[in-house]
Amino acid sequence: MPKLIIDTIPLEVPEGTNVLEAARSIGITIPHFCWHPALGKAGACRACAVMMLEGPVKGIQMSCMLPAQDGMVVSTADPEAVALRRAVIEWLMINHPHDCPVCDEGGECQLQDFTIAGGHGIRRYDGLKRTYVNQYLGEQIEHEMNRCIQCYRCVRFYQEYAGGSDFGVTGRAGSVYFGRQQDGQLESPFSGNLVDICPTGVFTDRTARFRARYWDYDMAPSICPGCSLGCNTVPMARYRELLKTTARRNDSVNGWFICDRGRFSNAAVNAPDRPRQALVDGEAVSMEVALDALQKRLAGFLELHGPEGLAIVGSPRMSQEAAVMAARLRDVTGAGTLCFFAGEEQSAGTAAAVALLNGNNAASQEDVRQSDMVAVLECDLLSEAPMMALAVRQAWRNGARVYVVDGDAPFDSSAGSLHRSAQGTEKGTESWLSGVEALPFEFERVTALAGIPFSEATNPVVICGTNKKRLNGIRTAALERVKLAFILNGPNAFGTALLTREQGAIAFYEALADGRVKGIIALEADLPTDLPAEIRVLAVADWLPTHLMKRAEVILPVTSWVEMDGTYINNEGRAQRFRQVMRPGLPIKGLTPELHPPRIHRHDAPGGDMLPSWKIVSELLKRLGAGRVDEPLNGRWEELQKLDPEGEGAQIILRGYTAHCPSI
Amino acid sequence: MEQILLKHTRAGQCLSFDKYRSTGGFEALVKAFTKMSPAEIQQDVIDSGLRGRGGAGFPTGRKWSFVPRDLPGPRYLICNCDEMEPGTYKDRVLLERNPHLLVEGMTLACYALGVQHAFIFVRSGYEQVAGNLRCSIAAAHNSGFLGENILGSGFSLELDVHQSAGRYICGEETALINALEGKRANPRPKPPFPAVKGLWGQPTVVNNVETLANIPSIITNGPLWWKNRAATPEAAGTKLFCVSGHVVNTGCFELPLGTTLGEIIDGPCGGMRPGSRFKACIPGGASTPYFTGAHRDVPMDFDPVAKAGSRLGTGGIVVFDQTTCMVAATLNLIRFFARESCGWCTPCREGLPFVQHTLERIESGRGDAGDIDILREHVRTLNYAFCALAPGAMGPVEGLLNHFGDELREHISARRCPFKGAHISPDRIE
Repeated sequence: MPKLIIDTIPLEVPEGTNVLEAARSIGITIPHFCWHPALGKAGACRACAVMMLEGPVKGIQMSCMLPAQDGMVVSTADPEAVALRRAVIEWLMINHPHDCPVCDEGGECQLQDFTIAGGHGIRRYDGLKRTYVNQYLGEQIEHEMNRCIQCYRCVRFYQEYAGGSDFGVTGRAGSVYFGRQQDGQLESPFSGNLVDICPTGVFTDRTARFRARYWDYDMAPSICPGCSLGCNTVPMARYRELLKTTARRNDSVNGWFICDRGRFSNAAVNAPDRPRQALVDGEAVSMEVALDALQKRLAGFLELHGPEGLAIVGSPRMSQEAAVMAARLRDVTGAGTLCFFAGEEQSAGTAAAVALLNGNNAASQEDVRQSDMVAVLECDLLSEAPMMALAVRQAWRNGARVYVVDGDAPFDSSAGSLHRSAQGTEKGTESWLSGVEALPFEFERVTALAGIPFSEATNPVVICGTNKKRLNGIRTAALERVKLAFILNGPNAFGTALLTREQGAIAFYEALADGRVKGIIALEADLPTDLPAEIRVLAVADWLPTHLMKRAEVILPVTSWVEMDGTYINNEGRAQRFRQVMRPGLPIKGLTPELHPPRIHRHDAPGGDMLPSWKIVSELLKRLGAGRVDEPLNGRWEELQKLDPEGEGAQIILRGYTAHCPSI
Repeated sequence: MEQILLKHTRAGQCLSFDKYRSTGGFEALVKAFTKMSPAEIQQDVIDSGLRGRGGAGFPTGRKWSFVPRDLPGPRYLICNCDEMEPGTYKDRVLLERNPHLLVEGMTLACYALGVQHAFIFVRSGYEQVAGNLRCSIAAAHNSGFLGENILGSGFSLELDVHQSAGRYICGEETALINALEGKRANPRPKPPFPAVKGLWGQPTVVNNVETLANIPSIITNGPLWWKNRAATPEAAGTKLFCVSGHVVNTGCFELPLGTTLGEIIDGPCGGMRPGSRFKACIPGGASTPYFTGAHRDVPMDFDPVAKAGSRLGTGGIVVFDQTTCMVAATLNLIRFFARESCGWCTPCREGLPFVQHTLERIESGRGDAGDIDILREHVRTLNYAFCALAPGAMGPVEGLLNHFGDELREHISARRCPFKGAHISPDRIE
């Protein structure tokens, strides 16, 4: 643990920390462009010069290149260092177009900040600026090369970190160019991170182009609902429209990045066909009236068919709050069926997978990145959990051996298709192995898990889907030191699987098969299109327009994840809180002319008469005389209330939540 | 004056392999493989005082001693023949006349270092050199001096010639290694130094052509004999000086290290051209600060030249007479360096064009006093570039500021170049 002094402040930092990071740790920001915590040092920009007064090296040094060592005395304010940093900024600004007023990066631009910080103000170069021809990089990323300051972050991320090969650097001296061999869609499923990682406006989010400044956005810490990994995000909205999503740092989970599916799936929240109006038999009513109607119909239904015929159906995409409340609704109504998963395979597989995890063997994405031996089986990482593929790549880059178990079991096509994404890509019925070739790392194919020499590894990890046939093999592996990462099929699959076991929930198909279901209340549920016609759909509460809504008697619009607070439990059993980003309501852009400009002033937004799913249940319970619930996460879920949405989340399995569940 | 490198050679002719053999070629190799251990060879090189001929002048034996011998995996030797510095062409002359000397020298070096696969990185355009080397390597193979089990010693070596696509930065050893690996020719951060982690992550020594070509003589004649070929007691061996510019005889001359600048110009070069007076010269290739008439008695050896404020560099001397505009000459050099920047670090990529632009302003009569400050600042700030290209590029600018300040100010005050119209003003000195 080296001890050093920076600007008269003594500090001690972990071995291997560079001087720039050491300074950051005590709140001193040294200007930097090429250095990035996830990409490491490059030494290219020369903006982080400091003066070394004492210690093993003296004089001007680049703080990103210099590991902190005992006895160093560092000055960041030394006149010579300041002069050099000012010179670097002057050089960088020689060819920069100064188009901040029309640049989407303006306001969140590292180059702006460090130019101001660097003290360069008066231009001395009076020659021509170099210019470039921009490229079309697809519908998601805008390219503006003239702004480039050649920090090489983009190419280091794209090629080294993410393993992409269709984007790179060409040219030399004054013609260094970052782009593709020719115009075209960037191929990497992680290309959107170029937007976050570029310190200026070369790569900006085309989907939110010219829509808002950084200070205009409604923002909050959130969790991506795109898959079971629970990557941390900051969604950004303005005027009730979700405009863009950026990665939020969580070293245990996604690190600094997110995948393109998570980043560019904002359209569904703003979609014109999104249910925003409570309906009873197709008639628009207020939420209150719809809930009253549902209560009456439910009472009638229970009288007619008895509680046995009622099914409360949720899904792995509902928040833990909603899932807990769904179980409570079952208890209050005495409903015969509670479901969180549609298929039996999925339901039993997920529950079995969750049962295999304990506080010691659940692998986070960081565990995967730090692993020295990774086995992948029964999952198509790039389509089911892209960031996990990126995590495996980091392990592989660090020398881990990677194996893909070349089984013959078909891919469970229902997984991964639960969510509507902007691209609308859906996995067909092809074998999961077809996606293996595109994985961004090298691996060895083996025929069975048994063929992998786990005993030679220090931190082995098995990444696995939830095919129940495979889980017996996993069970054997789990007995040893191997950590497990299951790829589940929804942002809260883990949480709903816990409830499935605890509450004795069954798969919806299983309930259908024995013919007891006479009517359902669907909460954010994805149900089969061939639901028998004689089954009454009493109510559908959802924010996505599901086909089930066509036959629903009562439709209750609910808030999406960006319009409420909530909790998801990710694939490793990590509970993570997310905060409300924006008020629900029609995007102002989408208002009809009759509604704009507003002639009647009221507090609620048009199209915003909706509640989180758990509140819908709470309201219904109140009407059923069961009392109101103000906080769904109580009892043994109470601790989740205390989670810091800006923290790293908590692995709830560590606290023995699974211990008192009946085993499968 | 005894020649070591150019002995038995003639301009425009490549020494045949048989001729080389019959005039004592490969005797060092036979001696080494029959009588010497690798450690003894390295000790001889250390004792000889041989310093790297590529420009930096680092003691070759010491460089070799940094290579860890206990790491698993192969070690590599790379011969740097990416000779791209304006004014420097010694390696080309040497290899066009006698490629066998390098092949023998590399084999000895590989034996000393325990290297089994070595590369010769040849710059683009040196077709003749690459061809000569390939012929020599093939002939050495046939004679049992290369390949499996050389001279029954159990030591095996493969030599490969790599023809580069060509960039000045490839002369920087880590950029050269990147280029050889098929990557962009950007320099790598040091440490780790190539001696520890170089080509494909393995210990690697990068030596200049002339450095390696001196080794056979050191082994054959002994380190002391070789050291004493120099002109001064401090210097060691001979040096190839390649002279261009306003002298009577331009060309590449092998002279004792430590010969003074005046002796070189007045001796083999035959003095200045008729009507020309010595004004200044580049003493060691385009990246070294100028020498003036005051430096004619400086011994051309690493330390004395450094003490006089410049660098011996590659020994590429470019002589300017009184009609040369030093601003124009410096601008010409800076254009080269600005163009040849690899584009990795900001000072080099952006600073050199800024210096070029400033010199263009001054040369075209649009300069002002602030421009001299800009030049002076850049001499200081470009020292903090990633590699030695930009600091080297500022060598001529530093010389311009130190020795020709009046000429600079005259450009600014007269709002024109005072040399415009002078008949020998060199537009190109490459």
